Amino acid sequence: MIYDIRMEIEYSYDRPAASGRNLLRLMPADLPLEQRLIAGSLTIEPQPREWLGGSDFFQNVTNEVVFDTPHKTTLFSVQARVERMLRGGWLDMSPRLDLLEREVADYRELDPWAPHHFLGTSPRIAFDPEMEAYGIEATANAATAFDAVEALGQALHRDMTFDAEATTVDTPASEAFANRHGVCQDFTHIMITCLRSLGMPAGYVSGFLRTVPPEGQPRLEGADAMHAWVRAWCGHEMGWVEYDPTNAVHVSMDHVVIARGRDYSDVAPVKGVSRSSGAHTTRQSVDVDVLD
Amino acid sequence: MKAQGEDMSTDALAAFLSAYRRPDGVPDELLGPDGQVRPVWSAFMQRLARINPEDMATRMSRGDQYLRDAGVFYRRYAPAEASDRDWPLSHMPVLIAEAEWHEIAAGLTQRADLLEAVLADLYGDNRLVAEGHLPPPLVAQNADWLRPLVGVRPRSGHFLHFVAFDIGRGPEGQWWVLSDRTQAPSGAGFALENRIATARVYSGLYDNANVTRLAGFFRAFRDALMGLRASESSRVGILTPGPMNDTYFEHAYIARYLGFMLLEGEDLVVDSGRLMVRTVDGLKPISVLWRRLDASWADPLELNEGSRLGTPGLVGALRNGSVTMVNALGAGVLEARAFLAFLPKLSRVLLDEPLRMPNIATWWCGGAKERAYVQANARGMTISGAYSTGLAFELEDMLPQDLGAEALAARIAHDGPRLVGQEQVQLSTTPAFVDGRLQPRPMSLRVFLARTASGWQVMPGGFARIGLSDASTGLAMQKGGLVSDVWVIGARRAQSETMLPRAAETVDRNQPGALPSRAADNLFWLGRYVERTEHMLRILRAYHARLAETANPEAPLPAAIATYLAGLGVDPDEPIPDALMGALSAANSSAGHVRDRFSVDGSAALSELMETTRGLIGKVAPGDDAARAMGRLLRQVSGFSGLVQDNMYRFNGWRFLSIGRALERAANMTGSLLAFSDPDAAEGALDLVIEIGDSAMSHRRRYSVSTDRGTVLDLLALDGLNPRSVLFQLEEIRQHLQFLPGNAPHRRLSGLQRSVLRAHTDLSLQNPEDVDGDFLARLSTEILSVSENLTHAYLR
Repeated sequence: MIYDIRMEIEYSYDRPAASGRNLLRLMPADLPLEQRLIAGSLTIEPQPREWLGGSDFFQNVTNEVVFDTPHKTTLFSVQARVERMLRGGWLDMSPRLDLLEREVADYRELDPWAPHHFLGTSPRIAFDPEMEAYGIEATANAATAFDAVEALGQALHRDMTFDAEATTVDTPASEAFANRHGVCQDFTHIMITCLRSLGMPAGYVSGFLRTVPPEGQPRLEGADAMHAWVRAWCGHEMGWVEYDPTNAVHVSMDHVVIARGRDYSDVAPVKGVSRSSGAHTTRQSVDVDVLD
Repeated sequence: MKAQGEDMSTDALAAFLSAYRRPDGVPDELLGPDGQVRPVWSAFMQRLARINPEDMATRMSRGDQYLRDAGVFYRRYAPAEASDRDWPLSHMPVLIAEAEWHEIAAGLTQRADLLEAVLADLYGDNRLVAEGHLPPPLVAQNADWLRPLVGVRPRSGHFLHFVAFDIGRGPEGQWWVLSDRTQAPSGAGFALENRIATARVYSGLYDNANVTRLAGFFRAFRDALMGLRASESSRVGILTPGPMNDTYFEHAYIARYLGFMLLEGEDLVVDSGRLMVRTVDGLKPISVLWRRLDASWADPLELNEGSRLGTPGLVGALRNGSVTMVNALGAGVLEARAFLAFLPKLSRVLLDEPLRMPNIATWWCGGAKERAYVQANARGMTISGAYSTGLAFELEDMLPQDLGAEALAARIAHDGPRLVGQEQVQLSTTPAFVDGRLQPRPMSLRVFLARTASGWQVMPGGFARIGLSDASTGLAMQKGGLVSDVWVIGARRAQSETMLPRAAETVDRNQPGALPSRAADNLFWLGRYVERTEHMLRILRAYHARLAETANPEAPLPAAIATYLAGLGVDPDEPIPDALMGALSAANSSAGHVRDRFSVDGSAALSELMETTRGLIGKVAPGDDAARAMGRLLRQVSGFSGLVQDNMYRFNGWRFLSIGRALERAANMTGSLLAFSDPDAAEGALDLVIEIGDSAMSHRRRYSVSTDRGTVLDLLALDGLNPRSVLFQLEEIRQHLQFLPGNAPHRRLSGLQRSVLRAHTDLSLQNPEDVDGDFLARLSTEILSVSENLTHAYLR
């Protein structure tokens, strides 16, 4: 499946920002066997004085840009053509959940996709006894680790309400969970917290959903903005799987990956604050069209 | 008088120590197992025993006085709100023999090399994890293992340049490492202050006690840092989180002592991959930063995104090799308690030798065997967070000792990898004065190591923590323990060494460094706020004096003053208005940010002024009482201004302070003239404005007629010889600007110069009779634009 993707993110400041530095993770990723970036371009207004390409610990592509002229708005536009090759249809080769700890311990490397990075706490994931109890209950009947991912994702989809107004980008997962509503970021953080408290390595994926669903299927939540879902480690044999708790589906052809990390803080699309302290507003638009 | 005989002094010593009992089960530093004074203490104690109690009390207060005068304090957090606290000096030093110190130094030097090698692995190819010497979670789930720094080789080739260890002596007399400090260890500056204060307490004794001096250590480290610079013109800075940090005093002290710039994250900017300091003279390169800021706060772009203390792009500058960090960002990973469980083995793996000084026995509960062991032996252990970086005796996260066996088992089973068990060590005791008498108290030492071109140097002595009670948990300073100086006693008299150049050397003046813009900004506003305070006090005094005369706030003149006060945001019904406290606390806050550039007496005068004013709230009645209180406060403000004028070095910092003061004074005088020199103003208004301008004497001398509008405007606006006039302030600003960067003669005028010149010229050309309300209003605007232009040119 080939997609044409257009995204714009615009920041508007009350007062002109004198200077600024941003770290961007906006471009769809090039992932062998999963997805291919056929063409991609990023344009920025105003024109940055410095522009540095790079990659982070988790091998995500980054762009660091520096502005030095006063400006009241910053506009980031992405145009990309992406071929998505991952077909889904996972074959369960995962161990029982209680045997996963052993497999994690046997993994003796710290490469970017070592399971060890995705356990314990991380900047946006804290331990939470209520989410732990929820996770245990939701996965009580799961035969395998992979089953547990699906059972938990379905439970969250059942118990949580998608509500674009209820939370902001800085709402803690515990608060969204207590109120049982939120957006894709909250669903994802809550599921990661539950999985990690079960001893299952889990991380965060940012990306896009196709805007218009395949014929006869419902439109997915989160298609009009950047989306997020969960990545979980199901043991040596099976490795990493991805699950979208907001829509209770396994990730497949309809999802396009931008960046992966431990939680939102590792993949935030635009990082860096302007030196002027005035309030700012954000506008975001996303189109993901199937190329016929 | 000649020294007394040996027998007599032995008797005196016995009497002096008659109440001192060494505790059971732990060694005492002063008394050996035989109950006799150990040899290293003997000479000092014999002399100490001959000091009578009154003399001793005088000596102690001399030491305390020094610390107060030097402004030594640290900031205390909770339980009450943050406040500065006196430095808790124990007046009794800890004495250690040179030979024993050499052993300690050798053990800790080895340990510093080991830690360096571990860091090189953790940020390099991670062999230790791959080969099974370190469990992966210890690294991957450690919040101080900073992924953006993985693979980044430090520019200097080393991760560690300055480390500290807390060590204590156990029951068998053996020294143990209690914790490793690799992030940004504090205390070296406090050690220096302890030394100076303690030497004052024991003047006459100290010089003869063969105490090894500390200055050589600091000189060596300063030279080492200077040697790490990229070029001669590049700078060394000390990076501080700012005045809210508990050890900010020390950062400012070290910066002053070593002659380095004291910088906050906002002072720095990354430009084309290079780290630069924003100064009033533009961006200047800096290539060595001794950071006192925890690494995760250093760069909001790549590290903790919530940090307001850092510099965006700093990690990128490190990746570029543009700056050496002391210590490397990420070095704090080794402070996690669980590392103590693995370092003995890592020493064999990496150095091929055992640790020369053991650390306290520690078991990481991530392994099944260790979990079982800790559970079975929990009675003699403290169980606490594996990733905690707290000191060995700061066990906020410790599991309660009375947790039942079942609850403990459940906790260990659930949280195993996040827990460590540590053997409880009873620490040795050392004498401390308690109610004037020596008592044994538990102690630990903090030992500092600095990397120089020729290897690690160990600070000879320094800093001991003394517990208040018998339990070693009382050692943490935040909990109210004491600190004392540590004397390493040599066989011979120590060479006197200080940081000052010796007579034989030519005196090489340090060039005053470029002034960071933020420091200039704080000095400018300090000048403004102090002057604003003074202006408010003068108006308030005049107001209350008029009230006392008429007893009617509705009378025309008091009513006019009240309106003017309201325009300044001052509520005239409050004898000590909030706005006055606001200006004072703003002045204090600005002064707090430039503590390194500011005389200690000056900051003390300023905080005293604030305390006095605060103390008057609710105690002063309107009218005469308030007028007299304002008079007292005014005299205190003048005290502060006098200290600054007399003591501050005439460089750019002083100029910004003076410009701030002149600008505020010009603005306030213009405002007062606008309000009170109007032909329609209330009766007595002209005398009032002369009183506010503190110019009654000058007026009498100069005009010898009664006040009229012309004489008032002439004296307070146009007279270039009256230090209260507007023109005098503008002239002063004009003079200062000539010395600031970018204002060399024969260059095109800057916007700032233009605005000063415009206001100055407009005013100079006026006749008193032409100065009307419109002119004064225009002048006000012009003065305001000077402030804006100055900010634009230098302060951001």
